[in-house]
Amino acid sequence: MTDSVAETEIAVVVDEADAAAIAAETEATAVAGADERLAYQGVFQRLLIRPEVGAIIGAVAIWAFFWAVANTFGVATGFGSILDGAAPLGIMAVAVSLLMIGGEFDLSAGAATGTFGIITILLVKDVGELGGAGLSLHIAIPLSLVVALGMGYANGTVVEKTGLPSFIVTLATFFVYRGFKLGFSKLIIDNISVGRIDEGQGRGYDFWRPIFDGVWARNDPLLESRDALWLLGWLIGGSLIAIAIYEMNFRRAQKQNPIGAFVMLAGIVGAAATIWYMHNFDGRTENTLASALLLVAALAGFGGLALWRYERQKIGSTLFTNETLTWTLAGVASIAIGILIAGALDMEAQQSVLALVDALAWPLVLAGGALGVFMAYRSVAGFEDQQTAIRSVVTMVALGAASAFGVYGFMFMTTEQGLRAILLGAFVIGGLIVLAIAAYKAGRVSPAARFLVLTATSLMGLWLAWFVQGQSRSVKFRTEAFSVILLAAAMVFVWGAVSMFFATRHEDDPVAARLSGQAAKLGVAIVGVGMLTRLLFTTEAEQALGRTNPVNFRMSVLWFIGFAVFATWLLGSTKFGSWIFAVGGNKQAARQIGVPAARTKTQLFMIVGVAAWLVGLLLAFRLNTLQSGTGNGLEFEYIIAAVVGGTLLTGGYGSAFGAAIGAIIMSMSKLGIPASQWNSDWRFAFLGTILLLAVIANNFIKTKAEAAGP
Amino acid sequence: MTESLIELDDIGKFYGNIIALQGVTTSVNAGEVTCVLGDNGAGKSTFIKILAGVHQHDAGDFRFEGESVKFSSPREALDKGIAAVYQDLAMVPLMSVWRNFFLGAEPSKGVWPLRWVDKKKASETAKAEMAKMGIDIRDTEQPVGTLSGGERQSVAIARAVHFGAKVLILDEPTSALGVRQSGVVLKYILAAAERGLGVIFITHNPAHAYPVGDRFLILNRGKSLGNFAKSEITQAELTQKMSGGAELEQLQHELAQATNK
Repeated sequence: MTDSVAETEIAVVVDEADAAAIAAETEATAVAGADERLAYQGVFQRLLIRPEVGAIIGAVAIWAFFWAVANTFGVATGFGSILDGAAPLGIMAVAVSLLMIGGEFDLSAGAATGTFGIITILLVKDVGELGGAGLSLHIAIPLSLVVALGMGYANGTVVEKTGLPSFIVTLATFFVYRGFKLGFSKLIIDNISVGRIDEGQGRGYDFWRPIFDGVWARNDPLLESRDALWLLGWLIGGSLIAIAIYEMNFRRAQKQNPIGAFVMLAGIVGAAATIWYMHNFDGRTENTLASALLLVAALAGFGGLALWRYERQKIGSTLFTNETLTWTLAGVASIAIGILIAGALDMEAQQSVLALVDALAWPLVLAGGALGVFMAYRSVAGFEDQQTAIRSVVTMVALGAASAFGVYGFMFMTTEQGLRAILLGAFVIGGLIVLAIAAYKAGRVSPAARFLVLTATSLMGLWLAWFVQGQSRSVKFRTEAFSVILLAAAMVFVWGAVSMFFATRHEDDPVAARLSGQAAKLGVAIVGVGMLTRLLFTTEAEQALGRTNPVNFRMSVLWFIGFAVFATWLLGSTKFGSWIFAVGGNKQAARQIGVPAARTKTQLFMIVGVAAWLVGLLLAFRLNTLQSGTGNGLEFEYIIAAVVGGTLLTGGYGSAFGAAIGAIIMSMSKLGIPASQWNSDWRFAFLGTILLLAVIANNFIKTKAEAAGP
Repeated sequence: MTESLIELDDIGKFYGNIIALQGVTTSVNAGEVTCVLGDNGAGKSTFIKILAGVHQHDAGDFRFEGESVKFSSPREALDKGIAAVYQDLAMVPLMSVWRNFFLGAEPSKGVWPLRWVDKKKASETAKAEMAKMGIDIRDTEQPVGTLSGGERQSVAIARAVHFGAKVLILDEPTSALGVRQSGVVLKYILAAAERGLGVIFITHNPAHAYPVGDRFLILNRGKSLGNFAKSEITQAELTQKMSGGAELEQLQHELAQATNK
């Protein structure tokens, strides 16, 4: 008995000592404020864990790819039709992404679009033996909206009241929709194609048609100052983005250096003058001269800005270590190999390569399988334990089959043009990644070493630009990509040169973070407006040259953009948006804290209903006649678009804007695959691959965001 | 500082023929910490749920600010100013700190239907409230999931304090934490008490309870083993009582015999 008391006492003493130590340490942490284990996170890293970033990068990459391969995929025409194609899908994907962030699914969303379109048509169709209700569109449209809201409410209420998974409830609704569409169409008009909405002529058709299917042609609006506005947008926006990048990366100097401001001004004036010169004098020598002048002006402008406000650093004397040299050479070699191969592959050569792939396909398939079997044999023969052996066998066989499938699929999908783009793209992207690593490693050796690596990168970019201009078979790509790559190469060089002299910031600076964030947003917006000006307006000179693209922007695009912006605002800036995240992320917690969880989810189903109604009307006015199967089966495409856009299947995380981008990616693949003369039967294989990559990326981001360290 | 916020007199709770809680008497004063200690199954959860309005007591008297009360819902308890912070903290891990802080009560501006959340105000308020608890959140945009367990606990506590809690019920806030993090949380408990709140700290660790507590209620198998002011009990006695005193001695005796053989 005495023993036990003594023991407890010892335990208590230990605990008290612990407690004192804890108290002291806690004090220290509280005083020090910041946690020393938190590394400085630049704006780039912070941006990278946004859900939609992956989708945006993917969209740009896919767009550039198709642009390189297919002639019809240019800036203006392609853009209009991509957005138009994306609109119905995108509106639904945005609504579905909200619902998914709220933690639910709606499998009836696809069939619902057709249902509400058909309901409207039946309400409007002329009265007759096999006719509709003959209502005015002014009544029919609000009426179908009420039905849509009611169906959304019903879906939500059933899910909430029964507690059943929304997957199964909305699957039931999906079949109900399907049945009703077919049943009512046949019952009322004895036809499975339901038309026509234009029988509402004189009953509001002329009023509603421009709202749902208006067309806005680009050729009409002349704007002579378009190019000036476009350039101005780039200049101002680009400068703002530059400031953002500087603020993110450089440490501000204690004392500003006014000489820098003068140098910067000189640079800006020089750039403006050079652009004016370039605009008025055309020719090979003039262009080369102007480009060189522009580079000097850019160096002066950006260098001056840095000199004015930021702290200098020593550039160091070590230029190379064996490691950085190896990485740099590897990167340069990869890009060079890509360019050389693409250059060597003329039409005939490409055909023979393809023929070779064709001939080798089955041997390759067999080789893949054999490799799998061999690896499996090795792992078994290596006397590892049984489970590992079995796992290796399964993995290797799967790998073999996958590689075989990949080879075979590649063979089917690819064409001559595609082969070149794929080879060139793979080598160039690989080389750029290696060079980025080289630059990072060199940066740790000395700033000057980093500059050398970036210069090498820039030179390779220069070569690539000229190669693309000479070789690409897509005219638009040739001219526009040339300037884009050239500009990028120049920027890499300028950045390398400037960043060599100025100190990198490693610590957190809230002021700089806010400033760079605002400057970046404003800059991107201004550049965006500039690009839109270029896209939407035409000049007389262009018309005279016959280079006007008859781009038609349809109302559907406006609805799509409007809805995406609205949903992004709703999600990001309102109370309701917070609640959506909360009910999807942790419903129990949300309810405990006073969020009306059931109501929020029901409202989400109703939003999907409204979106389906909108899409139904867009389709009805566009097509005039809807088939009873319209929309069936599209719900999975909405979900794919949302997931590609960064929305988690498990809810609580995602982005409405990302879902819109996801829809654009899908629309691009729909248009791009046939445009590049690939067999469009393979579109779904393409989509599947994108989906898989997106899910893997999302999962990675989620783990990053959720990683807790108690 | 000695005004009683909550007084419990002989509280009992029955589920059919099961006696979940019986004869519990204690009080919670403003600016003081009342610790509720007990092993698993001692009736601690039932006790919290009665206070937080999830369940209602079947016997005895529950007085809040001098009035006899019987809450019909957690909402009602919350409106009176009794806030419970459960072990799962009612947080959404993927949501940012400020969104979690203001969840369900977001400050808005603008005119209906164009009303949006005043992000700046929300973010600044959250940061300021956390600072008052002595914790510096560097970025209120970071997801709560990236915070450490102690920090998350402090967000939950600061949230309850900000929304006008007079009494804060903390359900085993230190049980899932390491030694250092527990220390951090104990500090927040004291900080909350210093700001004039009555704190009910539920735990099964006397070493955590004794340094911060002003009053100790010990539960065992649904019954109160006593309700002591700090001056009436030492930590050793507390530990002894809590771990079921006699039973533990018996166990140790048996173990000693077993090892001697």
